Amino acid sequence: MASNMLTYKDLTPAKPLDKGTLNKMAWLSMMLQASFNYERMQAAGWLWGILPGLEKIHTNKEDLSASMTHNLEFFNTHPFLVTFVMGIVLSLEQQKADINTIRSVRVAAMGPLGGIGDALFWFTLVPITAGITANMAIEHSLVGPVLYFIITFGVQMALRFFLLYWSYSLGSSAIGILTKNAREFTHAASMLGVFVVGALTCNYGATTLGMMIPNGTKINDAGEVVENFIDIQGLLNGILPAMIPLAFTMLCYFLIKKRNWTPTKCILLFIFVGIIGCAFGIWSGDYKALVGVPWHA
Amino acid sequence: MDVIQIVLLAVVTFIFAIDQFSLTELVYRPIIACPIIGLIMGDVNIGLEIGGTYELMMVGNMPVGGAQPPNAVLGGIVAVLFAVKAGFDTQAALGASVVFALFGQYVVTLTFSFMAFLMAGADKAAAEAKPSGIVKVNFISMAILGSLFAVLAVVAYVGLDTVAGPLDQFSKDFSWVMGGLSAAGGMMRYVGFAILLKIMLANDMWGIYFAGFAAAALLGNVSATSGATLLLVAFIGIAIAMYDFNTNVKLSNAGGNGGQGDGI
Repeated sequence: MASNMLTYKDLTPAKPLDKGTLNKMAWLSMMLQASFNYERMQAAGWLWGILPGLEKIHTNKEDLSASMTHNLEFFNTHPFLVTFVMGIVLSLEQQKADINTIRSVRVAAMGPLGGIGDALFWFTLVPITAGITANMAIEHSLVGPVLYFIITFGVQMALRFFLLYWSYSLGSSAIGILTKNAREFTHAASMLGVFVVGALTCNYGATTLGMMIPNGTKINDAGEVVENFIDIQGLLNGILPAMIPLAFTMLCYFLIKKRNWTPTKCILLFIFVGIIGCAFGIWSGDYKALVGVPWHA
Repeated sequence: MDVIQIVLLAVVTFIFAIDQFSLTELVYRPIIACPIIGLIMGDVNIGLEIGGTYELMMVGNMPVGGAQPPNAVLGGIVAVLFAVKAGFDTQAALGASVVFALFGQYVVTLTFSFMAFLMAGADKAAAEAKPSGIVKVNFISMAILGSLFAVLAVVAYVGLDTVAGPLDQFSKDFSWVMGGLSAAGGMMRYVGFAILLKIMLANDMWGIYFAGFAAAALLGNVSATSGATLLLVAFIGIAIAMYDFNTNVKLSNAGGNGGQGDGI
């Protein structure tokens, strides 16, 4: 099966990608979240964005299939900075690096960009731009929205193009070290990748219990008698923070690897677990449980 | 006149719905979207006022880290409808639109959950090396999201004051289903992680996986570092990987030079 290939069949490095293809991919990067979903997030949009490059690089069908398959795995990064990951991954694909190396570099690069992009864009550029232009709009001036669009769109597109060209040449120039000690590089890159997936499990894992079990009354700092609750999630955090995300990830790993479950089957399981859990007020969130239970207000 | 308005409203809503995640990710922002809706409804100035006000409200409510705030696309559109059609002032119109914004959020959660099932089709296209199949999956996803939003906008236009009550009641009665779906949505990413690990997690890597988990648990729960958790994790990971690389290169070079004393 193509997904289990570790190296490409054709190991001759492909021709460097031409400017037209790179520009096309910079524009396509805008569609990163076109098919966003909770399982693999931006995966299909990411693959769409790099397909023009992949089709040029992998002329044999089996390699193209292997490349498309591993690029369809979980992917999530900042939509405006994604071209940085595209450039590096494409330079590795072009050099026909080990598939595990490409996968690991992709995973290691996508994570940190999320935080950087949010800080740069949503916490800095957009609030400042909105502060200037929103009052123009409120005073009935069309300059407000137009200026808002020009500034934010201009910065965004400049970043997309700059990052793609910069990281593509960066990746191509770093390739020498890689090919000399390919086996060692693959092992080291895999370590980095696994380390980051471990971090993602904790950092993106958001499943928590909402169960608060009433437990008599207590006297608070102000000396008033208030109701006391046992917070089950708090108890779990005392054992291991993000314990549920870790346990669920391990469960999926076990089901997929050992029991040959398909991803679709795992998703159905989670839809069932999520809805039944909320019917009984187990998961945290702002909802009213179907069944009246003492631990869910 | 009404029919033209409805068609235009549906078309721009369709585009805004897609734009909130793809394309420019800017045109859907209230400061741009509301004046356009205002123009369709025949009063740009009201659109500008609501758009500017809503935009300032949103500055503190960014789509960060995958969390879904009550949906700005539907919130903005319906606020303009209330202001133009029912004559509400800006604040009242924004307040009245909240239930629709909440429904927009439900639609997003639903779509993102069920689009996970489209991934099987994408996997098939990848296995057959068919790029057109990947493009198709993306277009189907966008069409679903855009259409659902367009329908909601038209419903809001037609039954502005009559649907708000039932919608509110529905969101109260079925909050456990929506809560369940968003809980499930939060769980689906574990499937994505498992697919990555299925290939990456060689037997000597388990410790590294838990080390990464521990690093994120530490850095993510300290307020000074939580914003940069994944960047800092990458720094640590790169150090480990470089150490591993250098050690193994030295070992294999030593092995290549005769292998004496290589007792491993």
